[in-house]
Amino acid sequence: MDAAGMRKPLILLLAAVLLASMPVLARTPAPRNAQVYFIWPSDGTTVGQAFWLRMGLRNMGVAPKGTDIANTGHHHVLIDVDLPENMNEPVASDRQHLHFGAGETEARIELPPGRHTLQLLLADKDHIPHDPPIYSKKITVTVK
Amino acid sequence: MRTLLTAALLGTAISAAVAATPAPPNAYLYIGWPNDGQVVSSGKPIRVWFGLRNMGVAPKGVKYPHTGHHHLLIDADTPGPGVEIPNDRQHLHFGTGETETTVELTPGRHTLQLVMGDDQHLTFEPSVQSKKITITVK
Repeated sequence: MDAAGMRKPLILLLAAVLLASMPVLARTPAPRNAQVYFIWPSDGTTVGQAFWLRMGLRNMGVAPKGTDIANTGHHHVLIDVDLPENMNEPVASDRQHLHFGAGETEARIELPPGRHTLQLLLADKDHIPHDPPIYSKKITVTVK
Repeated sequence: MRTLLTAALLGTAISAAVAATPAPPNAYLYIGWPNDGQVVSSGKPIRVWFGLRNMGVAPKGVKYPHTGHHHLLIDADTPGPGVEIPNDRQHLHFGTGETETTVELTPGRHTLQLVMGDDQHLTFEPSVQSKKITITVK
Protein backbone atom coordinates (compact mmCIF):
# COMPACT_ATOMS: atom_id res chain seq x y z
CA MET A 1 0.00 0.00 0.00
CA ASP A 2 1.37 3.47 -0.87
CA ALA A 3 1.32 6.51 1.40
CA ALA A 4 -1.92 7.89 -0.09
CA GLY A 5 -3.65 4.55 0.44
CA MET A 6 -2.54 4.48 4.07
CA ARG A 7 -3.97 7.89 4.82
CA LYS A 8 -7.65 7.00 4.54
CA PRO A 9 -7.70 4.09 7.03
CA LEU A 10 -5.62 6.20 9.41
CA ILE A 11 -8.15 9.05 9.28
CA LEU A 12 -10.99 6.59 9.82
CA LEU A 13 -9.16 5.11 12.77
CA LEU A 14 -8.59 8.55 14.27
CA ALA A 15 -12.26 9.41 13.76
CA ALA A 16 -13.30 6.18 15.46
CA VAL A 17 -11.00 6.87 18.43
CA LEU A 18 -12.39 10.40 18.74
CA LEU A 19 -15.99 9.18 18.61
CA ALA A 20 -15.31 6.46 21.15
CA SER A 21 -13.81 8.97 23.56
CA MET A 22 -16.61 11.52 23.22
CA PRO A 23 -19.00 10.06 25.83
CA VAL A 24 -16.13 10.20 28.33
CA LEU A 25 -15.66 13.88 27.61
CA ALA A 26 -19.39 14.45 27.96
CA ARG A 27 -19.66 13.08 31.49
CA THR A 28 -20.58 15.66 34.09
CA PRO A 29 -17.92 16.23 36.76
CA ALA A 30 -18.86 15.66 40.40
CA PRO A 31 -17.13 17.09 43.47
CA ARG A 32 -14.53 14.69 44.89
CA ASN A 33 -16.19 14.79 48.32
CA ALA A 34 -19.72 14.07 47.04
CA GLN A 35 -21.37 11.16 48.78
CA VAL A 36 -24.67 9.39 48.25
CA TYR A 37 -25.94 7.07 50.99
CA PHE A 38 -29.00 5.44 52.49
CA ILE A 39 -30.48 7.33 55.40
CA TRP A 40 -33.01 4.50 55.67
CA PRO A 41 -32.99 1.54 55.61
CA SER A 42 -29.52 0.75 56.88
CA ASP A 43 -27.57 -2.32 55.87
CA GLY A 44 -28.98 -5.52 57.32
CA THR A 45 -32.35 -4.05 58.33
CA THR A 46 -35.54 -6.12 58.25
CA VAL A 47 -38.36 -4.18 56.63
CA GLY A 48 -42.01 -4.70 55.72
CA GLN A 49 -43.12 -5.37 52.15
CA ALA A 50 -43.67 -1.64 51.63
CA PHE A 51 -41.32 0.88 53.17
CA TRP A 52 -40.08 4.44 52.72
CA LEU A 53 -36.58 4.59 51.37
CA ARG A 54 -34.70 7.80 52.19
CA MET A 55 -31.85 8.92 49.96
CA GLY A 56 -29.03 10.97 51.44
CA LEU A 57 -26.64 13.19 49.51
CA ARG A 58 -23.71 15.24 50.76
CA ASN A 59 -21.75 18.02 49.08
CA MET A 60 -24.06 18.00 46.05
CA GLY A 61 -27.63 19.00 45.29
CA VAL A 62 -30.68 17.31 43.80
CA ALA A 63 -32.13 18.51 40.51
CA PRO A 64 -34.80 17.04 38.23
CA LYS A 65 -33.68 15.34 35.00
CA GLY A 66 -32.82 17.76 32.24
CA THR A 67 -31.50 20.40 34.66
CA ASP A 68 -28.08 21.68 33.67
CA ILE A 69 -26.68 23.06 36.93
CA ALA A 70 -23.20 22.25 38.27
CA ASN A 71 -22.88 19.88 41.23
CA THR A 72 -26.40 18.47 40.95
CA GLY A 73 -27.94 15.18 39.88
CA HIS A 74 -30.90 12.91 40.51
CA HIS A 75 -31.21 9.65 42.40
CA HIS A 76 -31.53 6.12 41.02
CA VAL A 77 -32.24 3.08 43.17
CA LEU A 78 -30.75 -0.20 41.94
CA ILE A 79 -32.58 -3.29 43.20
CA ASP A 80 -30.97 -6.74 43.14
CA VAL A 81 -28.54 -5.66 40.44
CA ASP A 82 -24.90 -4.58 40.14
CA LEU A 83 -23.74 -1.14 39.09
CA PRO A 84 -23.82 -0.60 35.32
CA GLU A 85 -20.66 -1.79 33.63
CA ASN A 86 -20.61 1.16 31.27
CA MET A 87 -20.82 4.41 33.19
CA ASN A 88 -20.76 6.39 29.93
CA GLU A 89 -24.31 5.36 29.10
CA PRO A 90 -27.61 6.46 30.62
CA VAL A 91 -28.75 4.36 33.58
CA ALA A 92 -31.22 1.70 32.43
CA SER A 93 -34.86 2.34 33.22
CA ASP A 94 -36.63 -0.83 34.35
CA ARG A 95 -37.93 -2.54 37.47
CA GLN A 96 -34.39 -2.95 38.80
CA HIS A 97 -33.32 0.62 38.06
CA LEU A 98 -35.76 3.13 39.50
CA HIS A 99 -35.36 6.72 38.31
CA PHE A 100 -36.25 9.70 40.45
CA GLY A 101 -36.18 12.30 37.73
CA ALA A 102 -38.56 14.65 39.51
CA GLY A 103 -35.97 15.31 42.22
CA GLU A 104 -37.48 12.95 44.78
CA THR A 105 -35.38 12.18 47.84
CA GLU A 106 -37.69 9.52 49.30
CA ALA A 107 -39.57 6.67 47.70
CA ARG A 108 -42.16 4.13 48.74
CA ILE A 109 -40.66 0.77 47.75
CA GLU A 110 -42.51 -2.54 47.59
CA LEU A 111 -40.57 -5.80 47.42
CA PRO A 112 -41.47 -9.46 47.72
CA PRO A 113 -40.37 -11.29 50.89
CA GLY A 114 -36.74 -12.39 51.03
CA ARG A 115 -33.30 -10.84 50.85
CA HIS A 116 -32.74 -7.93 48.46
CA THR A 117 -29.87 -5.65 47.64
CA LEU A 118 -30.27 -1.91 47.25
CA GLN A 119 -27.78 0.60 45.90
CA LEU A 120 -28.02 4.29 45.05
CA LEU A 121 -26.48 5.79 41.93
CA LEU A 122 -26.61 9.48 41.11
CA ALA A 123 -26.83 10.59 37.49
CA ASP A 124 -26.78 13.86 35.60
CA LYS A 125 -29.37 15.67 33.49
CA ASP A 126 -29.10 12.98 30.78
CA HIS A 127 -29.25 10.05 33.27
CA ILE A 128 -25.50 9.43 32.81
CA PRO A 129 -23.44 8.84 35.98
CA HIS A 130 -21.04 11.60 36.98
CA ASP A 131 -17.26 11.58 36.74
CA PRO A 132 -16.32 10.10 39.16
CA PRO A 133 -19.56 8.10 39.51
CA ILE A 134 -21.38 8.85 42.77
CA TYR A 135 -22.86 5.68 44.21
CA SER A 136 -23.61 4.30 47.65
CA LYS A 137 -22.52 1.11 49.33
CA LYS A 138 -24.70 -1.79 48.21
CA ILE A 139 -26.85 -2.77 51.18
CA THR A 140 -28.88 -5.89 51.90
CA VAL A 141 -32.35 -5.79 53.44
CA THR A 142 -34.63 -8.62 54.45
CA VAL A 143 -38.26 -8.16 53.52
CA LYS A 144 -40.78 -10.11 55.57
CA MET B 1 -67.02 52.00 52.44
CA ARG B 2 -67.74 48.33 53.03
CA THR B 3 -67.83 47.64 49.29
CA LEU B 4 -64.47 49.33 48.85
CA LEU B 5 -62.96 47.35 51.68
CA THR B 6 -64.35 44.10 50.32
CA ALA B 7 -63.01 44.94 46.87
CA ALA B 8 -59.59 45.73 48.35
CA LEU B 9 -59.56 42.48 50.32
CA LEU B 10 -60.68 40.51 47.29
CA GLY B 11 -57.97 42.14 45.21
CA THR B 12 -55.32 41.11 47.73
CA ALA B 13 -56.63 37.58 47.91
CA ILE B 14 -56.73 37.22 44.13
CA SER B 15 -53.24 38.62 43.54
CA ALA B 16 -51.82 36.38 46.28
CA ALA B 17 -53.54 33.35 44.76
CA VAL B 18 -52.14 34.15 41.32
CA ALA B 19 -48.58 34.72 42.52
CA ALA B 20 -48.20 31.63 44.70
CA THR B 21 -47.32 28.19 43.35
CA PRO B 22 -49.87 25.63 44.51
CA ALA B 23 -48.42 23.05 46.88
CA PRO B 24 -48.19 19.53 45.44
CA PRO B 25 -50.94 17.31 46.84
CA ASN B 26 -49.94 15.49 50.05
CA ALA B 27 -46.53 17.19 50.14
CA TYR B 28 -44.96 16.41 53.49
CA LEU B 29 -41.89 18.18 54.81
CA TYR B 30 -40.14 17.21 58.02
CA ILE B 31 -36.81 17.43 59.81
CA GLY B 32 -35.38 13.90 59.76
CA TRP B 33 -32.63 14.81 62.22
CA PRO B 34 -32.31 16.13 64.90
CA ASN B 35 -35.45 15.08 66.74
CA ASP B 36 -37.75 17.48 68.54
CA GLY B 37 -36.44 18.02 72.06
CA GLN B 38 -32.99 16.66 71.22
CA VAL B 39 -30.03 17.80 73.31
CA VAL B 40 -26.87 18.26 71.24
CA SER B 41 -23.35 19.20 72.27
CA SER B 42 -21.98 22.63 71.53
CA GLY B 43 -18.73 23.21 69.73
CA LYS B 44 -19.41 20.81 66.91
CA PRO B 45 -21.58 21.17 63.83
CA ILE B 46 -25.08 19.75 64.03
CA ARG B 47 -26.16 17.78 60.98
CA VAL B 48 -29.70 18.53 59.87
CA TRP B 49 -31.33 16.41 57.22
CA PHE B 50 -34.36 17.41 55.27
CA GLY B 51 -37.20 14.93 54.75
CA LEU B 52 -39.63 15.45 51.89
CA ARG B 53 -42.37 13.20 50.56
CA ASN B 54 -44.69 13.48 47.59
CA MET B 55 -42.61 16.33 46.22
CA GLY B 56 -39.19 16.71 44.60
CA VAL B 57 -36.17 18.96 44.99
CA ALA B 58 -35.00 21.38 42.31
CA PRO B 59 -32.39 24.15 42.51
CA LYS B 60 -33.54 27.77 42.57
CA GLY B 61 -34.68 29.12 39.23
CA VAL B 62 -35.71 25.66 37.98
CA LYS B 63 -39.36 25.42 37.04
CA TYR B 64 -40.36 21.75 37.22
CA PRO B 65 -43.77 20.49 38.37
CA HIS B 66 -44.11 19.58 42.03
CA THR B 67 -40.61 20.64 43.08
CA GLY B 68 -39.05 23.29 45.28
CA HIS B 69 -35.95 23.92 47.34
CA HIS B 70 -35.35 23.74 51.05
CA HIS B 71 -35.00 26.62 53.51
CA LEU B 72 -33.99 26.13 57.12
CA LEU B 73 -35.38 28.63 59.58
CA ILE B 74 -33.45 29.09 62.82
CA ASP B 75 -35.24 30.82 65.68
CA ALA B 76 -37.67 32.35 63.22
CA ASP B 77 -41.31 31.99 62.24
CA THR B 78 -42.45 30.91 58.80
CA PRO B 79 -43.47 33.81 56.60
CA GLY B 80 -46.81 32.30 55.51
CA PRO B 81 -48.00 31.18 52.07
CA GLY B 82 -47.06 32.84 48.80
CA VAL B 83 -44.37 35.20 50.09
CA GLU B 84 -40.66 35.56 49.49
CA ILE B 85 -38.49 33.85 52.10
CA PRO B 86 -35.93 36.26 53.57
CA ASN B 87 -32.28 35.43 53.03
CA ASP B 88 -30.28 35.96 56.20
CA ARG B 89 -28.63 34.07 59.08
CA GLN B 90 -32.02 32.92 60.35
CA HIS B 91 -33.30 31.84 56.93
CA LEU B 92 -30.80 29.57 55.19
CA HIS B 93 -31.42 28.92 51.50
CA PHE B 94 -30.45 25.68 49.80
CA GLY B 95 -30.68 26.86 46.22
CA THR B 96 -28.43 24.15 44.77
CA GLY B 97 -30.92 21.48 45.78
CA GLU B 98 -29.11 20.36 48.93
CA THR B 99 -31.01 17.89 51.10
CA GLU B 100 -28.95 18.18 54.27
CA THR B 101 -26.65 20.65 55.99
CA THR B 102 -24.66 21.29 59.14
CA VAL B 103 -25.26 24.26 61.44
CA GLU B 104 -23.40 25.63 64.42
CA LEU B 105 -25.54 27.12 67.15
CA THR B 106 -24.79 28.95 70.38
CA PRO B 107 -25.57 27.15 73.66
CA GLY B 108 -29.21 27.34 74.68
CA ARG B 109 -32.60 26.52 73.20
CA HIS B 110 -33.17 26.98 69.48
CA THR B 111 -36.00 26.31 67.09
CA LEU B 112 -35.57 24.77 63.66
CA GLN B 113 -38.17 24.62 60.91
CA LEU B 114 -38.06 23.79 57.22
CA VAL B 115 -40.07 25.58 54.58
CA MET B 116 -40.10 24.92 50.84
CA GLY B 117 -39.65 27.71 48.34
CA ASP B 118 -40.54 27.59 44.66
CA ASP B 119 -38.25 28.56 41.76
CA GLN B 120 -38.47 32.19 42.91
CA HIS B 121 -38.02 31.53 46.68
CA LEU B 122 -41.74 32.09 47.27
CA THR B 123 -43.53 29.84 49.73
CA PHE B 124 -46.24 27.58 48.34
CA GLU B 125 -50.00 27.95 48.75
CA PRO B 126 -50.67 26.40 51.22
CA SER B 127 -47.15 26.66 52.60
CA VAL B 128 -45.17 23.41 52.59
CA GLN B 129 -43.45 23.53 55.97
CA SER B 130 -42.27 21.17 58.66
CA LYS B 131 -43.21 21.10 62.29
CA LYS B 132 -41.11 23.61 64.22
CA ILE B 133 -38.82 21.68 66.53
CA THR B 134 -36.84 22.81 69.56
CA ILE B 135 -33.35 21.60 70.35
CA THR B 136 -31.04 22.40 73.22
CA VAL B 137 -27.35 23.02 72.64
CA LYS B 138 -25.26 22.23 75.71
